[in-house]
Amino acid sequence: MTDRRRINGPPSGTRPPVFAAGADRPAVRPVRQRQPTELRKLFLKTGLIPSASGSAYLEFEPSASLAAARATPTSLIPPSSALKLTCTVHGPKPLPRSAAYSPNLVLTTHVKYAPFAARQRKGHIRDASERDLGVHLETALRGAIIAERWPKSALEITVTILEAEDDRWYGDAPDAHDASWGMMNVLAGCITAASAAIADARIDCLDLVAGGVAAMVYAEEEEEKGGEEPRGRKLMLDTDPAEHRSIGSACVVAYMPARDEITELWLKGDSGGSHEGLIDGAVDAARGAHGVLAEAVREGLSVTN
Amino acid sequence: MVPSAATPSLSLPPAQFASLQPHAYLLAHLSPPALSNQPSIRANGRSPSQFRATSANAGSLTHANGSAVVRLGDTAAVCGVRAEILHTDDIASWSVSSSTGAGNKRRKLSGEDPEDPEESQIQDLNLLVPNLSLSTGCAPGFIPGAPPSALAQSLSHQLLTLLHTSRLVRTDDLRIWYDVPDLEGAGQETGEAMDVDVVDKESSLKQPRKREIKAFWVLYIDVMIVSLAGNVLDAAWAAVLAALRDTKLPRAWWDVDAESVLCSNRVDEARSLLLRGLPVCSSFCVFEADAAAGWRAVVLPTSIEMEQNKQQQRWILADPDGYEEGLTQERMCIVLDKDQSGNPVIVRMEKNGGWTVGKEDLRQLVDVSAQRWEEMKTVLKW
Repeated sequence: MTDRRRINGPPSGTRPPVFAAGADRPAVRPVRQRQPTELRKLFLKTGLIPSASGSAYLEFEPSASLAAARATPTSLIPPSSALKLTCTVHGPKPLPRSAAYSPNLVLTTHVKYAPFAARQRKGHIRDASERDLGVHLETALRGAIIAERWPKSALEITVTILEAEDDRWYGDAPDAHDASWGMMNVLAGCITAASAAIADARIDCLDLVAGGVAAMVYAEEEEEKGGEEPRGRKLMLDTDPAEHRSIGSACVVAYMPARDEITELWLKGDSGGSHEGLIDGAVDAARGAHGVLAEAVREGLSVTN
Repeated sequence: MVPSAATPSLSLPPAQFASLQPHAYLLAHLSPPALSNQPSIRANGRSPSQFRATSANAGSLTHANGSAVVRLGDTAAVCGVRAEILHTDDIASWSVSSSTGAGNKRRKLSGEDPEDPEESQIQDLNLLVPNLSLSTGCAPGFIPGAPPSALAQSLSHQLLTLLHTSRLVRTDDLRIWYDVPDLEGAGQETGEAMDVDVVDKESSLKQPRKREIKAFWVLYIDVMIVSLAGNVLDAAWAAVLAALRDTKLPRAWWDVDAESVLCSNRVDEARSLLLRGLPVCSSFCVFEADAAAGWRAVVLPTSIEMEQNKQQQRWILADPDGYEEGLTQERMCIVLDKDQSGNPVIVRMEKNGGWTVGKEDLRQLVDVSAQRWEEMKTVLKW
């Protein structure tokens, strides 16, 4: 069924371009240049959208390979991508008359990818993964907001992802270790940006909640040997899935350093009993993001005052 | 209540007055008392024909073939162009004659192109698909996750008709050709050499190799309005222009073995779109001192006859922001381009919602739009 409220393309549908394998220049997987505990730089700015009560824009630093590809473009296929998203907060506003009484602030979150955000064109209607991200984001923020200060009110948080992270390197075929790893980075970015936007909207919170990602990554050489016991697993913070051949498990946390509290935890994959380390790694990544977050919020306040 | 009595009667801060009495507030700004030597200025500090500061930044998104961010004051639009392939086999109404007909007449594009007989293919086959999204949390009124609002739908259609009427993108840029190897021709020549006359042979030699359209590029042009503060159309259109200019299509060819179109990922083989001109969109709105005066004159013609002679107080405001858009009914939109000798060419003109603007005013607005064209040319680095 066609969506008559939008402009649809050709009725028979279109196919994404297929690139011929260039024999002269084989594609090379980007290599992680950072230390295992080194995080990507992130750019965070609040108060960019004047019509919203609070807003934030977040951008990850492009990986070394992407930066090189941008400086001297040779291939049309980007090696990896860097997260870019905007977050707006509208409210607190009164609940509609028809709504039931609520003693707390009613929080709604929407996460939407732009159609051009990922390698595959995204639809206009929210799909399951976007709704999933919205629910995760809501739980992460609900633990931080002091909701009982706004009875009968609603707060609407909208995240628009302009550029998402890849789930794997584009040259890899989907395999057993495959999951939507990129989504976890996106969630961490959403949490950090939403937290900045909420602070920008002057909503009372227990602390600024920051998102962090850590992953157990199989070392390349172990993978080559095809060993049955993956001993070469390494903990990496803030992983870019395009840079790793296979990721064993990954974890996102939403973390408040002031109370040493985790409001949201999402662990995926086979952690092989080492999930404690994985969570600690994610918390470390979140601490790093929190430093930037606090600085951005402080900066936003000094501009308005 | 002694303290409140002590305060003067008119002590509302400007921001409160603006939200309580928006019409009076803007009117007071535009018509300052005659004694004070203040110029007539809008509430946002601009003169009536002044546009907001505009900036454009192209090519910042990784996964789009072309992308641009345009900021028009506080309105921000992000546009991404994605190219996908439409095989002619998938087009139900496609016939072989239409695939080869244009090929023989095709000439080298140099400066002014010859009129392409198949130019309407863009429109017939829906090769340009613009969609504008307002449900990004850009303003409180738009619910994210809901279907596109009436405003978003009408803006998407405005972009589509503007793309079609301005003929910005050449159909030829979107065609993927296939040079049919001349195997059959060679066989025919040897087989029928005996009874073929000379004229026929000559024409077959002169004729270039047989070409066939195998596929088309379809450009999905998605505009996300990140921040909404009035005059969305100008911002969105500027973003579309900048993104299309940034768009690079990979070299594509028909692969006989795979029976599909393959692309090369080499940047040096990719080509940009050759756009036709630079149609710049400028929007205006009319602010009336007494919004009902014109209508009253129609309903009660005799009573207002006297005042008819007096010029109705009204101001034409260029590039209205969200506050001004809420106070005005009459809108104008002029899309203007300049030809090589610098003469303005009106691509499209639209006026609706009122009747105060006449011929003379429109002529002035075209001049303002021509100035705006020069501004936008430098902004977009055309």
